[in-house]
Amino acid sequence: MAWRDAVRLSSVAYVELSLQAIYAFRQGNVLPAHRSQDLVGRARRRVLQSKVIIAFVLGVLALGASTALRASRQIVATGIVPATLPVGLFDAGVVTGLLSLDIAFLWWTGLQVIPTFLSSGVLPVLEPLPIDDATLRRTAALLYLRLFDLPALTMLVATPVFVGLALGPVAGLAVVPGVLAAVAFALALSLLTGRFFVRRVQGARGGGGSTLVRWGYLVLWVIPAFAMFGFVVAAPAFFSFLEHLATSGSSVGWNLLLATYPFALAALPALAAGGSTGFGFPTGAFVVAAAAVGYAALTGYAALWTLASVRSLGTTPALPAASAPVGRRSVAPTGPAFAVLTKDLRIASRTPGYAFLILLPILDAVAIGLWTYVAASGSSGALSVGIAAVTIAALLATFFGPAFFAIEVNAYSYGQTLPLSNRSVLLGKVALVTLMYAVAAGLVLGLTLLRVFDPGLFLVFALAELPAVVAASFFELGVLFWRARRRGLPIVSLYSGQWYAVLITIPGLVLAGAPILLFHLLSADGGSPALAGMGLLALLELSICAPFALGGRES
Amino acid sequence: MGASDPAAGAPPLSIAGLSVAYGERTAVDRLSLEVRSGEIYGLLGSNGAGKSSTIKAIVGLVRPAAGAIRVFGIDPVAHGLRAKERMGYVPETSLLYEALTPREFLEFVASVRHLAPAVASERVRTYATAFRLDGEIEEPIATLSNGTRQKVLIVAALLHQPSLLVLDEPLNSLDPRSVRLMKELLAGYVRETGRGVLFSTHTMEVAEQLCHRVGILDRGVLRAEGSLAGLRERVAEGDATLERIFLRLTEEEAGVAEAIRSLGGS
Repeated sequence: MAWRDAVRLSSVAYVELSLQAIYAFRQGNVLPAHRSQDLVGRARRRVLQSKVIIAFVLGVLALGASTALRASRQIVATGIVPATLPVGLFDAGVVTGLLSLDIAFLWWTGLQVIPTFLSSGVLPVLEPLPIDDATLRRTAALLYLRLFDLPALTMLVATPVFVGLALGPVAGLAVVPGVLAAVAFALALSLLTGRFFVRRVQGARGGGGSTLVRWGYLVLWVIPAFAMFGFVVAAPAFFSFLEHLATSGSSVGWNLLLATYPFALAALPALAAGGSTGFGFPTGAFVVAAAAVGYAALTGYAALWTLASVRSLGTTPALPAASAPVGRRSVAPTGPAFAVLTKDLRIASRTPGYAFLILLPILDAVAIGLWTYVAASGSSGALSVGIAAVTIAALLATFFGPAFFAIEVNAYSYGQTLPLSNRSVLLGKVALVTLMYAVAAGLVLGLTLLRVFDPGLFLVFALAELPAVVAASFFELGVLFWRARRRGLPIVSLYSGQWYAVLITIPGLVLAGAPILLFHLLSADGGSPALAGMGLLALLELSICAPFALGGRES
Repeated sequence: MGASDPAAGAPPLSIAGLSVAYGERTAVDRLSLEVRSGEIYGLLGSNGAGKSSTIKAIVGLVRPAAGAIRVFGIDPVAHGLRAKERMGYVPETSLLYEALTPREFLEFVASVRHLAPAVASERVRTYATAFRLDGEIEEPIATLSNGTRQKVLIVAALLHQPSLLVLDEPLNSLDPRSVRLMKELLAGYVRETGRGVLFSTHTMEVAEQLCHRVGILDRGVLRAEGSLAGLRERVAEGDATLERIFLRLTEEEAGVAEAIRSLGGS
């Protein structure tokens, strides 16, 4: 068979993949009785919507980088970057940031879609058919490429155009190798981590020790995605580092940086735009050129490897342990709400998309906590950073809360047949959000304690904010439950056109943020009144939101 | 639950005038039936006859377009939790929490059903041994075979010893040993006062061996209902198998003969 057959087969498989991505029938969702018309069309539209959103974000990133490149002098004047940093290095730094964010975002997208790709079972359906190996391999590769098509195309078009508008057409062309490498590496990394997921996470045995190991793997997996957030926070420090290395660092260190991915490829448009000052000639230019050739070769290898390996990923079942001893057969039933919490944590421990949502606020707290430990000059500095860390943890936990409702899509039809009240489900989800906040705040406190020996104010701040986080969760999830009950539908996925799951986070963030805002407004008059006001407002929010969410009797 | 059920006076299941529709398509049309105490009721039908839609309406997965369902006198639409507490359900397809192990899944079900730890553990041990699940109890469900998943679902349905078991093609993926075990288990299950089983299948042999009464569903309509002897009388064939009765009542006997001829058979 020819490529034409592979295109035809992948188109058919893509329709099935879209249907499963949105309606998740193979994960246990039930056919929506009153919406059975045009399921396929609706699923395809929603998948397209998701891709458009991701492509839009990538386009905005490219536009933002272009704006920064055009306003380099004004940015230097603001003091965000060192005044002595040469323009060429600033340009290379901005493009490095853009390429890093591109690869992180596309990889993160891959992390989200690969579990769907695996659970949809579209490739195993094709395997028994009389189709030759080459066609099956091509079909799998084309199907995989279609998962990323619009975002990847946006990167490939928007980045050269926006960089070209800022630095000139030659620079626009010179950024193409960097973008191609970012796409190829992101797709390869998605596949690698997807294989890792199948082998080490999805197929891992149960039990406490194994659960801890799985969470360990998931932390490792989340860190690259977390880099997306971290890069924005660390940008000023990165430019200072660049300036330091270029002006007073060793030539070995500088040349190593020039050869590092993605800086080597990001230097190409800067050099093409004529901003060569600071790179070091001729050695620096030679290092950049040699590294760029090396990365181009690696890009080709990554692309070929990805296209050849997709089929094995799509058809490899999750493997159980080789030996299967008699497992523990005792069970420890708990209350229904706690059972929901435990179930969600267990599902997340084998589902990277959900694990990411739980780990992001916690890792954020760890990162800022470490920053506090390393950089804070005194108690007051450490305290303000610690408070900022807790604030971000509270807002992130609030923002991701609605996504945990999507876990309910797992075996949704079976879950609906159990005598599990909405109240129990709601309490379980709110407990999860509260746990995330508590763990994040606890970690910050632990790390801050190493530098600050009077944690009282920090502890009271974290506790005063707690009712607001719980109130925000009650509000967000209460509204989502009310809507789902009214329409008789599960919320399938935050990333599948369910706009209200995103929209509801806006009032949620207001609820979580209002006590913090009040604290800052009142803190000029001293700590105690500010904390008292903050705590009272948070409790008031909770006293309104909890009855709203938990109201209404079920029998 | 079980024998001391406060609603034990009412039949385990009664359905009156039930209709289920998916958009324009009617899957079940004004169906009425009753599962009596101590009875295994077999719901027979071809693929797409409406068996699964009927069961989904009973267990609360599909909202009926019309009609009434009562589980021990309780309306599962208005009082879903109370009705679900009395039911155990095995779905047609083994769609479970793939990311959990069977032990974790059964622990979740036991929690939702408010079982005491000692009781739940004892039942998990008993059923896991009976269905030979010991080796797989700590493996993720995603890695298990269809038959093993089906066994997990059966254990989950039995865990709280429900008064009404609703089983949608429960024997489909099971090995012969487990099929035999399941038949014995169900036969013994309804001997306890106040219990009933609704059992959907298209395997006539199983229904013939197991069910006290059967209902024959065809394109959403109940064509006939009764004991095997009663149905034989109805088709006026004293020694007819259930398969023959089914084909006669659904008016498919001639169609099957025609299909066999077209395939080159005798």
